[in-house]
Formats: sequence, C-alpha cells, structure tokens
Amino acid sequence: MNDFDYEVIVVGSGAGGAMAAYTLTKKGHKVLMLEAGRDYDPKKESPMFKRNGEAPLMGAGNVDKDFGFYDATVDGGWTVPNEPYTKAEGTEFYWWRARMLGGRTNHWGRYSLRFSEHDFKGKSRDGLGADWPIEYKDIASWYDKTEEIVGICGVNTGLDDMPDASEGILQPPPKPRVPELLVAAAAKKLGIPAVPMRRAVLTRAKDQRAACFYATPCGHGCSIGAAFQTTTSLIPMAKKTGRLQVVTDAMVKEVNVDDRGKVTAVTYIDKKTKEAHTLQARVIILAASACESARILLNSKSERHPNGLANSSGQVGRNLMDSTGVNLGAMIPGLQGRPKYNEDGHTANHLFIPWWGHKMQEKGELDFPRGYHFEIGSGFHQPGAGVSGDLDGYGKSLKDIAKRAYGSYVGLSLRGEMLPNEHSYMEIDEEVKDAWGIPVAKFHWKWSEHELKQVEHGLNTAKAILEAMGAKFTDSLPKAEDAISKGGEIIHEVGSTRMGDSPEDSVTNQWGQTWDCENLFVMDAGVFASNPHKNCTLTIMTLAMRNSSWLAEQLKQGVL
Amino acid sequence: MTSNSDNSMDEKPYKTTLTRRESLKWLGLLSAAVAVPAVISLSGGKTVAETGKAHWPKLSLPQVTGKGYGKDPNLIVPPEAPWPLTLEQQELNTIAVLSDIIVPREGNVPSASEVKVPDVVNEWVSAPYARQQADRLEVLSLVVWLEDEAKLRYDAGFRAITNMERLSIIDDIAYKKAYYTEEYSKPAEAFSRLRSLVLSAFFCTSEGTKDIGYMGNVPIAGDYPGPTKEAMQHLNGLLDQLGLSLSIA
Repeated sequence: MNDFDYEVIVVGSGAGGAMAAYTLTKKGHKVLMLEAGRDYDPKKESPMFKRNGEAPLMGAGNVDKDFGFYDATVDGGWTVPNEPYTKAEGTEFYWWRARMLGGRTNHWGRYSLRFSEHDFKGKSRDGLGADWPIEYKDIASWYDKTEEIVGICGVNTGLDDMPDASEGILQPPPKPRVPELLVAAAAKKLGIPAVPMRRAVLTRAKDQRAACFYATPCGHGCSIGAAFQTTTSLIPMAKKTGRLQVVTDAMVKEVNVDDRGKVTAVTYIDKKTKEAHTLQARVIILAASACESARILLNSKSERHPNGLANSSGQVGRNLMDSTGVNLGAMIPGLQGRPKYNEDGHTANHLFIPWWGHKMQEKGELDFPRGYHFEIGSGFHQPGAGVSGDLDGYGKSLKDIAKRAYGSYVGLSLRGEMLPNEHSYMEIDEEVKDAWGIPVAKFHWKWSEHELKQVEHGLNTAKAILEAMGAKFTDSLPKAEDAISKGGEIIHEVGSTRMGDSPEDSVTNQWGQTWDCENLFVMDAGVFASNPHKNCTLTIMTLAMRNSSWLAEQLKQGVL
Repeated sequence: MTSNSDNSMDEKPYKTTLTRRESLKWLGLLSAAVAVPAVISLSGGKTVAETGKAHWPKLSLPQVTGKGYGKDPNLIVPPEAPWPLTLEQQELNTIAVLSDIIVPREGNVPSASEVKVPDVVNEWVSAPYARQQADRLEVLSLVVWLEDEAKLRYDAGFRAITNMERLSIIDDIAYKKAYYTEEYSKPAEAFSRLRSLVLSAFFCTSEGTKDIGYMGNVPIAGDYPGPTKEAMQHLNGLLDQLGLSLSIA
C-alpha cells in the first residue's frame, strides 16, 4: 500500500462497494478497498454440479451453513464467528452477514427489479414514510448503464410497477416452466398479471462471463460468471485498470476526523494479527451494508461528532426497514405425477407476479398503503434432505406417494414494502464488544398495521390463486402477525443512513454524501429513503454508479 | 402374543393369559414408559388418555462430542467424515433392516441399504447440531422400542424374528391411524421421522435421483429448452379441466 497512492477508500466489496470502486477506477481514480472477510474466488470455490448426496447431511442447513452446505456464504449467515449482535427485549431480528470478498453478492437471489416512479415518491402519494430526493427519471439512465454491465435477463412488460429498460439492455429470459405457467393462468383469471422475472443472470455471454448453462443453484456461487456477483465482474474489472487494491480481513472500526471534524482516515483491525491500522484518504465511502455502515458511523464518536459521525440529524441507525415476507404453499392435485423434464432453468423464478395494485391504491380500494410481489416456488428440484408428499406406510406404496407428489407443490412467497416506524431501528450496544473490540449493533423491531394488513391481503390472494390451480385448503389461513417474517429475515435491510432533501431529517444528500462531512459517502442500502417491495441490490448498484460518477466529477473539479 | 412358549411357569407365566399391560410389567418396560405423557396431544386435535398400555424407552444418550464442519468448509471436496459416527453395529443393523422395509429393492432399483442409506442415517444422527440430535433420540428410541416390542410379541429381539413378524410390528406403527392409538403414537412418530430420513437419503443417491425422475444438474448449451411437448400437453389438459387459459406478457 505504501507505494499505492490512492485517493479513495471504499469500505466493503459487495454490491455498493464494488460498483463504486469499478466506477471510480474506470474514471481514473485510485481506490483502496477494505473487506472484513477473507479473499474469495468463485472460479475456484463454487461447488458446480455437486449433488446434495455428496454433502454432509444431504446438504441440509444448520447453524454453520444456514442456507445449506453449498451456499456460497463464507464465515457468515445469521451468526458470524466472534461478531455477535444484540436485540432489545421482545425484539426478534436476524442480521445476515457474509465475511468474504464480494459480500452477499456471492449468494443473493439475483432478482433485479427497477424501482418505479411510485417507489421514489411514496410520501407525496400517501403521506407516509419519506420521499426520496430523486425521482425515477433522475435514475432511469443509470439503471440502463448498471443493467448493461451487470447483465439482466427479462422483458419490458409495460406494467406500471416495472419501468422499461432502454432498447437492447435486457437479455432474453428463459422459457417459463409448467407450474409457473399454471400460476400465470390462475392469476390471470383473478385479473393479476404474471410476467418474466428480471434476473442478474446472463443468458448471453458478456465480457469475460459465460452465458448460463442452466444447472447448479446460483446461491452456490457461479464459477462461469453467468450469475452476477462482484467477484467475477466488477472487482476483477476494476483491478484490471491497475487502480484498485484490495485488503481483506480488514474489519473497519471507525472513521477518523481531525480537530475540525473533517474526515481524514479509517481505522481497521487486521483480523489475522488483531492489530489496528489507520489509513488516510481524501474521500471515504462506506458500503459495508446498511447496518454495518451505520454501526461504523455510530462508533465514530469525537468531540465534534459526539453522537457518532454524520449523525447531527440523529437519523443514523433509524428508519431501519426490511421487506415483509410470508409464504403460502399447497399441493396441486393436477400436478401430481406430471411428465418429467429438466426444470432447473436458471434455478430461480422464470415468472413472477409484480405488484398490480397501484391503481387500486390510488382509488383508495385497499386498506394498506404499499405494494408487494409474489415469487413462485415450484419445480422438479434436485432431491435433498426432505421429501414432499403425504407420506404413509412403507415400501413401494410409500415410494409411489413420494414420486407422485414430486414437483406438485407450488408456493407463493410475498415480498412487500415496509414503512419506516419509530420502533424499528438499530443502535450501539455499549455493553457488548466483538472479538475485535468494536461495540456491537443492537436491534429494535416491530411491524406496523400497514405491513400486517398487506400480509393479510397477500395470504388471501395467494390462497385464491392456489385454489384456482386446484388446491384445497382445509385449515384456515394463519393470522398475519403469526405468519409474517421476522425482521431482517428477508435480508433486505435498508434505511439506516437515509438520503433526503434536508440535513434535518436525513443523513446524506441525493449523492450519498453525508450532510455533515463532505468527503464521507455512504453507498449501500443504508441510503434508501424507503424500501420498495423490489429486492434492493440492483438499486444499490445503480445508486453507487450514479453517485460515484458524481463524486469523480467533484474530484476532477477539485471540489473535494 | 405368541402361544408357542414351553417355558415353565417358574420362569415365565403362561403368556396368553397375560394382558398387554401385565406383560409390559413383567418385562419391566412399563416402568420405563415415562416418556409417554398422560394425555398425548395430536396434530389432528384428538387426544389419547394413557391407560398403561404403551411403553417407550427413556434413553439418556451421551452428548455427541464432535464439532460441526464450521462456517467455511471446503465446498469442492466436502468433508467425508465431518464428525465421529455414533451408531453401534447392532443399531446400524436394525437401521439397515428398517431402511430396506421403507425402501425395498424394486426390480432394477436398489434397496436403501444397497446404496448405503444406513451410513447416511448414521452420519445424520451423529451430527452435533440440534435438529440432528433431536432425531438421534427419536431414532435410537425407536430401535430400543422395536427390540422391546419384538420380545413382548415373539420372545426374541427385532433382528432375530422373521421378516413377517417384523412387518406385523411395523404395520402397527407405519400408518397414520397409529398416531391416534396410545400404544403406538410414540413409535409411529419416530418411525415417521426415520422414514423421511431414509427416503431422503435414498433419493439423494444417483440411483434414487434417477428413480424419482430428477433430470437436471446437467449443463445445457444454448437456451433453456423449457417444458417438453408431453409436459405442455399435460398442462393444457389441466388448464382445460380447471377452466383456465394461458397468457404471458
């Protein structure tokens, strides 16, 4: 590092950090990236074509590998060794982390839905939450540029919830599978559209990355680079410029300021030696994940910033949101014993149900303010540690039950927008430190009536769709408060350093630049002013590209 | 009860005159029946009152001492023996017998033990994770219960009796009706757990995967082909039946 004359330090190598580093290095700036986890190379480490039967416990998940043996997450999951977090009494909250180069982009679902004009201006419409300081048209061209690099398969549907990409941006989506077509037909009967999902999976080769060969779940990592992760795309591409250096096992403890309160450096702990190092930089970008970046800011207390850095508004850690989640599934009698074929596809949704209710909400026909979408769970999956079917008896008759049931279950998973509320936030637990001596995050969580009513609507709608497919429900639906996911469980935590129009009630401006410190930026989902039902990663990357482009311009003009 | 006993009354009473309850007492099994609660709540909402006809072993198993494979195992070459195996040979033998009752050979499709399913069960119940340790108690309790039940019925251990005799016991615990009987609700639950485990392990083998009909995990050059003609014909038939029609944006 001594002879590497970097201008910018980026904390984090996931969606936001890698896009920021890529953008800045492409524009000629030297960047030093700090990653809290170990180095990771999907080309060598992705378990391609591995069968569950080859893994311990048939690949089943446990406290070591929450999402199964082959999940790409390294040293993470709902718990991270040596790095606890705490929860307020009565709070249930789960914080998924990864400690590896590329962060959570190595295992994410790759669903990549653009936020629409409704999503940026929710408060203007219904008076709830906060508006973003930008609108869709400010970011549309940046979505195009991001999607061009990331590689998104899907189509322009013309639906109000799914803004079109410019001509030539999207790659062709894979053909829908039988259960998805059945869902689409059933939804159509109820006036609900089902359309091709947009996903960060290449169906045509791009750069050094191959097209999908339709095998091996993307969550295992993708050695051929078809499923987007920063470790096979943005990071190697940025390194190729010669202007990016990466330090792994570097756990950032705080951002340092001078006597006047100006940001000068970051201090990190080298996890291998446990030694602290302080690195100066002209500009610092935090992209450590919404809650980790907020934790760093709150732990960066100084005389000038007694409540933590960039926290004059008191909003750091506040407005914490996740997506709502609930699942309803059923065995579809007509799918029992159906003809077999390879249903792997790109290993996730080829079709899904986008939010169809904007008009209904405008007319006041719904009793909840924000939308949701349904993801479809179905298919002839590779056998693992669980067998579907109403199992009874033994021998041939038992096997026949399992074989007929195979591929006959369809589940609808709701993913919905949550509004910020005063009971959902994170702070620092001054009583507990991690193994590196850094005070840990403490979570507070509560869903509001808005989310519960939305989930109730979703459960009823899912039931109606499944019934139209021939499913029979004997039990009544669960109550929304029992069925809704726990906070953090959908792994879409956002909002803890939100952007806004005013330093009074937001942490950064529209460029992710903190109001309090002009050379400190946040480029992860912490800056989201709201949490639309669409998965957050595409917008994290799009904002990071837009905002680091603006930052590059500031550097060029000597403003920073 | 069998009536083929020629034992003298001194050693063992004439068994056909014994009630099941008395036999249980004689065999010392009833005193071990502590795991059966006075009222068993069942998923269907029905309850069974205990009248002393059931037996269920109360095992106190030593803690497994192995460690898990950790949060960063090698995914390319998964650990072959991630933790010490804990089943005794006799237990493994019973699991093998049960595995082949659950998944017997069918023509060219091998039985569960032929494709080493008992080894997977052993790895599973030996794993140092909460879910697996709960299963270990269930599975080992079942093994002991079968031994006791076989002695009760046939005066010999489960592995020593004939296959017909074994099936007469399994028939009493393998079907849903067993959940609602006092004698068999506990072994039926445990059998159900083992059944899922064995079936999963079987379908996870190459032979089992072929048997269930999974056709994926192979690379495809070019675009994903989608459903076959036959699969679409089936879907169209189903749509007609349900009064639905297709249309995708």
